[in-house]
Amino acid sequence: MAQAMFSMRSIELFRTSGFRLALVFLLVFGAAAGALFLFVDWQMQSFLDQRSDEWLTREMQSLQSLSEDAVLSRLAVRSKDPTNAERPFSLFDRSGKLIAGVSLSYPDHAVFDAPFDFADRSAARRDHYRGLLRHRADGTAILVAQSLHEQREFRERLENATLFASLITAVFGLAGAIAVGVGAVRRLDAMSDAAAQIVKGDLKQRLPTGRAGGDIDRLANVVNEMLDEIERLMQEVKGVCDNIAHDMRTPLTRLLASLERARRRATSIDEYHSYVDEALDEIRGILKTFGALLRISEVEDGLRRSGFVDIDVKAIARDAVDFFEPAADESGVALAYHSSNNEPAIISGDPSLIFEAIANLIDNAIKFTPREGRAVVEVEGNGHVVTVTVEDTGIGIRAEDADAVLRRFYRAEKSRHAPGNGLGLSLVSAIARLHGMRLEITTPDIGTRVRLAT
Amino acid sequence: MSKILVVEDDPGTASEIEAALVDHGCTVTQAPDGRDGLVKAVSGTFDAIVLDRMLPGTLDGLGLLAALRAAAVQTPVLILSALSAVDERVRGLKAGGDDYLTKPFEALELTARLDVLMRRRTVASQETVLRVGDLEINLLTHTASRAGNVIDLLPREYQLLEYLVRHSGQIVTRTMMFEEVWHYRYGEATNVIDVHISKLRKKLDLPGLVPMIRTLRGSGYVLDAIN
Repeated sequence: MAQAMFSMRSIELFRTSGFRLALVFLLVFGAAAGALFLFVDWQMQSFLDQRSDEWLTREMQSLQSLSEDAVLSRLAVRSKDPTNAERPFSLFDRSGKLIAGVSLSYPDHAVFDAPFDFADRSAARRDHYRGLLRHRADGTAILVAQSLHEQREFRERLENATLFASLITAVFGLAGAIAVGVGAVRRLDAMSDAAAQIVKGDLKQRLPTGRAGGDIDRLANVVNEMLDEIERLMQEVKGVCDNIAHDMRTPLTRLLASLERARRRATSIDEYHSYVDEALDEIRGILKTFGALLRISEVEDGLRRSGFVDIDVKAIARDAVDFFEPAADESGVALAYHSSNNEPAIISGDPSLIFEAIANLIDNAIKFTPREGRAVVEVEGNGHVVTVTVEDTGIGIRAEDADAVLRRFYRAEKSRHAPGNGLGLSLVSAIARLHGMRLEITTPDIGTRVRLAT
Repeated sequence: MSKILVVEDDPGTASEIEAALVDHGCTVTQAPDGRDGLVKAVSGTFDAIVLDRMLPGTLDGLGLLAALRAAAVQTPVLILSALSAVDERVRGLKAGGDDYLTKPFEALELTARLDVLMRRRTVASQETVLRVGDLEINLLTHTASRAGNVIDLLPREYQLLEYLVRHSGQIVTRTMMFEEVWHYRYGEATNVIDVHISKLRKKLDLPGLVPMIRTLRGSGYVLDAIN
């Protein structure tokens, strides 16, 4: 069981990208280091060979310039000096018998006038040498040699050191890969645990993030931001549901009271009629709220985009101002349309929806502007950029409410007692989005400025 | 008494419509699907047809309408639909519908629109002056006068008055007026329309003259000369 567990974990470990990456790095590094070692070895070998060859040639030349006796005496002197044991000189006769010098055996595969490697077969030393053999005028052959012992030992040491270093690198590299892999497995475990909890319904849960800010952390941060947004949307949906329930309960309670009163008090047909009319008004209000909600989601679904045509926003704004002017007049608000020129401002859209958006903004401006106030609708078109600004001198929106008023049913403190259902700006916002426009609410010193811009 | 054919598959909606139309003084024939509707529409003589856009079976509302117009039956058709998008409306009207009403609707909206559709055929179009009592409007010069006094009207006020005069004695709803005069679709227009009407009233009802525009509870107005 434990073994199965372990092997499962090790398979998981091998699957982690961190472990694999570390392993790949280890292999690539090993290959590169091996190639480097071979190159250095080769270079060194050829350098050493070249040096001994130069020395052999030099010595041979100096020997050749000497007379027979001088050569013999020099060989005799050298052979007695132990410091020259690594560099023996020997003189052989025609048959390969030693005449003078160090007692080396005559090389097996003798090559004349070019340096070559050979092994000494005499019992005393079975050493390897590099030597240069040359005929002399009298038929004897002279051998100048250098022991390869030192060179070979150096090479052996180098090989051992390299092997040891490779081993250590491999062990540390593998350990590192496992550490990275295990770390990744742990993080993945932590993340999948968190994700599982989120799936179970704990929306407050977030993926764990480290301090390092690496690539996985970045991913986790992005996912966490997404979760924040999902949580916000869920809250909003819940808020909308609560609001619907609340906003429906109030008129329904009034309706109930009105019908009960009719039951209790009404004695004549006329009285009944007036109570029924009251109830009908209440129901119309409720249906209107539902209608507005459905319209918002209809607009948000984007289905109406299929009916888009080229429309002149200026003409629509003029119509809207013209439509609301008597109502504004009645409320004592001076409503005006303004534009810097008469060029049409064309966008692709649904004329009735754009009218509705502007109408809602004007309606708000009139509703929340006291008598003697002003409301101005301004449309400017500049190529593809069309802006509609509705500005009033009314009670204004607090800066901290500027985003909230776009939420369904949200009503700022100051507007709570004005007629309406708190859906107007949500609808405007949905229409703006459908037309690819931004909705900005700014709060100048006096009043409100709402701006729709493509 | 007007004869109306109602092609509607949902029994609840169908009986609501029938009740509203019967109360309005019409006789109603029902058809629950497109085939039945088409057979009755072609064979019977109806003053108007109320047609549901979505019908079960092979023949839906627009298909029935196309077949009807192809058979040269010119009975006015009011299309009912749950689809409110502008292009749906345009498609409905292009297929030969005379008016388009989005569900849910109020009974008054339905009967007022049907009245207008049925009357439309009888109004002669050559006239240049329309009169209702002592009110007179000139369709060419876009001017109006009451009992000989010229009434100074803004263009929109004239259009509103002309619409009311053309349908004098009939109920017109605020929505109908808004669509006719402003050519947009806007559900919240009703309160603002009231202000336009009251302005028009002030100009129309000169001192000493009988008021001509009556408000109906709910959502409509009637222009007529009672005296």
